[in-house]
Amino acid sequence: MFNKMNKTSMLTVSTILALTLSACSSGGGNTTNSPKGTNETSPQSTNAAVNEGTSDAPKVKLNYWTEDRHDLAYIQEVVQRFNETNKNNIEVEVKGLSENYNQSVDIAFSSKQAPDIIRTTPSNFIPFVKKGYLEPLNGYMNAEMDAKFGGALIDKSNMMDGQIYSLPNYGYSSRLIYNVDLFEKAGIAAPPQTLDEMIETAKKLTEAGKDTGAYGFAINFKGADNSFEKAPRSIAELSGIGGYGYDFKTGKYDFSGFADIMTAFKQMKDDGSMLPGVEAMDIDPLRAQFAEGKIGMYLSISAETNVYLEQFPAKINWAAALPPTIDGEIKGVAGYWKTGPWLSISSQTKHKEEAWQFLDYMYSDEVLQKYYEGGYGLSLLPDIIAKSKTPEVPGIEGFLPTENDGIWPISPKVTVDGTDFSNLFIKYTISGGDLDKMIEDVNARYNVALDKARASGDVTTEAMPDFDAKSMQGMLTK
Amino acid sequence: MTSLRKLGESYSFIIPSLIFTVVLGIYPILWAIRYMFYSYPGYGEEVFIGFGNFAALMRDEAYWNSVVNTAIYASGKIIITIPLSLVLAVILNKGLKGKNFLRAIYFMPTVLSTAVISIVFFNIFNSYNGIINQFLMKYHIVSKGIDWLGPDMAMFTSIIVAIWGAIGNYMLLFLAGLQSIPDDVYESASLDGANARQKFVYITVPMLGPVLQMIIMLAITISLKGYESIMVLTEGGPIGRTEVMYLYVYRMFFPISSSSTMIQQIGYGSAVGFMSAVIVGLITIGYFWISKRLNRIF
Repeated sequence: MFNKMNKTSMLTVSTILALTLSACSSGGGNTTNSPKGTNETSPQSTNAAVNEGTSDAPKVKLNYWTEDRHDLAYIQEVVQRFNETNKNNIEVEVKGLSENYNQSVDIAFSSKQAPDIIRTTPSNFIPFVKKGYLEPLNGYMNAEMDAKFGGALIDKSNMMDGQIYSLPNYGYSSRLIYNVDLFEKAGIAAPPQTLDEMIETAKKLTEAGKDTGAYGFAINFKGADNSFEKAPRSIAELSGIGGYGYDFKTGKYDFSGFADIMTAFKQMKDDGSMLPGVEAMDIDPLRAQFAEGKIGMYLSISAETNVYLEQFPAKINWAAALPPTIDGEIKGVAGYWKTGPWLSISSQTKHKEEAWQFLDYMYSDEVLQKYYEGGYGLSLLPDIIAKSKTPEVPGIEGFLPTENDGIWPISPKVTVDGTDFSNLFIKYTISGGDLDKMIEDVNARYNVALDKARASGDVTTEAMPDFDAKSMQGMLTK
Repeated sequence: MTSLRKLGESYSFIIPSLIFTVVLGIYPILWAIRYMFYSYPGYGEEVFIGFGNFAALMRDEAYWNSVVNTAIYASGKIIITIPLSLVLAVILNKGLKGKNFLRAIYFMPTVLSTAVISIVFFNIFNSYNGIINQFLMKYHIVSKGIDWLGPDMAMFTSIIVAIWGAIGNYMLLFLAGLQSIPDDVYESASLDGANARQKFVYITVPMLGPVLQMIIMLAITISLKGYESIMVLTEGGPIGRTEVMYLYVYRMFFPISSSSTMIQQIGYGSAVGFMSAVIVGLITIGYFWISKRLNRIF
């Protein structure tokens, strides 16, 4: 009897399990029925709620996914305020996904459980648009919003083919961050403004830091792309050279402008001015060492202010200055990092109107001003900066937008055969080689890939003979 | 009727595994095989390019560098791990005091997350404030910290970490094998005057033959496919010195960096994954062939 019951119950469990699995794998299910799904109420009930404005009607629940961690507490606070104050019975739930964000969004869309509001970033903007995840916002925007954001919209960063998919909010300025105490100890009055000065400064700082084990310069070579974007790119862009090797004037790749920059990095390595172990160093260990006073200077972004306040409280006096240029002449702007898009509406949401109402609130002056004043990111809107108080974050002064900061146009993304430029240049810095030959090779490979991408229609960026990097100066200040 | 019911019951047990195998095993493989012939970044149009991905793969120095690195990594790991775990197993198979405690200690790395192990080892080996360098410098064994994760030493350090992580697993398999050898054989050998070394060489090793074959096969496939520890420890760097095959494949599907220049390459990644699987398969077949021939000889 027991055996029979046991077998029967096991058979039942197996069948249920099999049915559950097949149910899970059927991607085309109706998300309205999903308890954790995106859209928990039918469009009809939503409209009723909106029209009547009653609090008794079922709430329209919107999911908002973000990969940002640094501002999550503030975002939760403003979302809560929205939930409490909006008159249309809309409730937004924020979900912070720090790991594999893009993959999570992909899976959510393929299983029809996409979030209604999506944080889009420069790295996922084009793929998300091409995959059809994002709802064009043109039809929702009014004249006031056009005026407020129009000047800050960047092609392939906020817009594609004339359609606006996300409005800007903030970015990070690029800076040289330096240990003021070590500079004073070495008798150096000001941060370097040319590559030669940077090499000399690094040498002097290393000499002055011998007794404490401090070195003049550091860079996080472990994440090749990340370190390249934060260091050589900012020097190149302030010197008027496209930070990703793309020459906007000719519409071709030309990495020759990096020769002097990479030679300077190699010189600092050869001089022994770089902290030992930079080859395998990630950004957080680098920050930890800087906070301890073991690094004289490095290049990074304005996110460092909160890092030295909360993550690695700095034991030294430090400051930030514009990155050096190749020869001391500023011919462009120090490119902001992670700029462009912020929030988008999912193309799959059944509550587009409600999602827009939420976006309208999030892009209001009040929310954006407090975002900037709280030091979560530097506003990309000069009007917002002008209206706001200076953020009360120690060290922020050096990062505030100047007329020499700006947002560069988006370089085309190409799939190149062989080693990418950032890894190649880092290889040169660490182990040397024939730099001219390397540049010749990388130019050829990138231009072949660019021609291919243009031919296939993946890249539509054309040469801009009138492009002048200097013309971007002042775009972030009033 | 009864036999039909029994058959139904049997299949009901198989069905869940079958679904998992099809959904998570066979379908992704077929999916990847299709994309090997396409240029596809994960969105937009899928462009059929025939063997274009394979032609690019033949020219891809970074990939072939990763194949060489994999060979160094796997052979370094296997050559040291297997003899060492065998010796440990033999020692711990004896009536030592606290042998269960020691077995647990050696086995512990197997149950820890690879990411955690690698983070711990990163802190142990890092050049600027790693525990090992601090120790070596404190006792004046070296005057300047060793660049354990630098271009010259990173592969060696990765192998050390891999050995530490794997040794307990193989030791346990050897222990199981050792316990299947009858005591009588050792007793007879003792009566014939065999010493400990002779017993080990002429009894233990030959009688562990089948277990050893299985362990070597496991070690080869696992080592050739391993990349998690390296991803955390060095991310394949510096300058590609520790880039291994499957880390390279992973990057194609999931670019590690959020850099604006990185592009997901599903088509090319599938081709690279296929080529890597072929390499691992060929090496495993080669090992089986050698192993069979050795069986016939001995």
